[in-house]
Amino acid sequence: MIEPLQTILIVASLLLAVLAGVYVALDRSPDNILVGAAGLLELGFVVQAVVGIAQVIGDDEVASPVTFIGYLLAALLVLPLGVLWSLAERSRGATSVLIVAALTTAFLVVRVMQLHG
Amino acid sequence: MAERTPSTPSSASTKAGPGRALVAIYAVFALSASARSGLQLATRASEAPVAYTLSAIAALVYIAATLGLAEVGPDPRRLAWAAVVFELVGVLTVGTLTVLDPALFPDATVWSAYGQGYGYLPLVLPFLGLGWLVRTRR
Repeated sequence: MIEPLQTILIVASLLLAVLAGVYVALDRSPDNILVGAAGLLELGFVVQAVVGIAQVIGDDEVASPVTFIGYLLAALLVLPLGVLWSLAERSRGATSVLIVAALTTAFLVVRVMQLHG
Repeated sequence: MAERTPSTPSSASTKAGPGRALVAIYAVFALSASARSGLQLATRASEAPVAYTLSAIAALVYIAATLGLAEVGPDPRRLAWAAVVFELVGVLTVGTLTVLDPALFPDATVWSAYGQGYGYLPLVLPFLGLGWLVRTRR
């Protein structure tokens, strides 16, 4: 749909998951670097949502428009919620919430690409 | 700052420590199952009413488990126990039925074939939930 943005989003999501994994392994709480990386990735998801919805409103072939837009919007929510839930407590478990969030966004991009293809 | 050692008897919070990650996973399942079943029921309920109703029930169970484990509501621990046990029974029952008779549900649900479509996470999750509830029990 929007290449190479979506491949970048998947790779960046997986990298964020790995980075969060390093923080968990070192028992470090999310700092500005980790939260900043999540914020940067979130910008990419905003672009994906804007371009994706524009394509649906245009006459692009999408198998299931409602589901497609649902996935685009859901992908916007995951990282902010994950960051909030992980910052609310100082522990390994809380930091690993970001791993869950990053893997979820990677999965959501894959689903978006499947729906478009 | 919360307790860092969930093994101490006094720290019985289900949302602290590793529980936070567990709540996050449950939240993802609650959101995706609700969205999916809501859409299925809204757009093509007549195609596979049993499967879609089951999806909706699964969604409610995941929401209840998320809220319970996140300690929302008056008696979250009981809510979490009920939801996770229901989830375990559900995934085992639906999983077994769908493996024995694939034609039973025309469209897949979260629990079909023990959650195969979701990397078997729906099968693993209730065990993690039960283990965590036992571990944090006072």
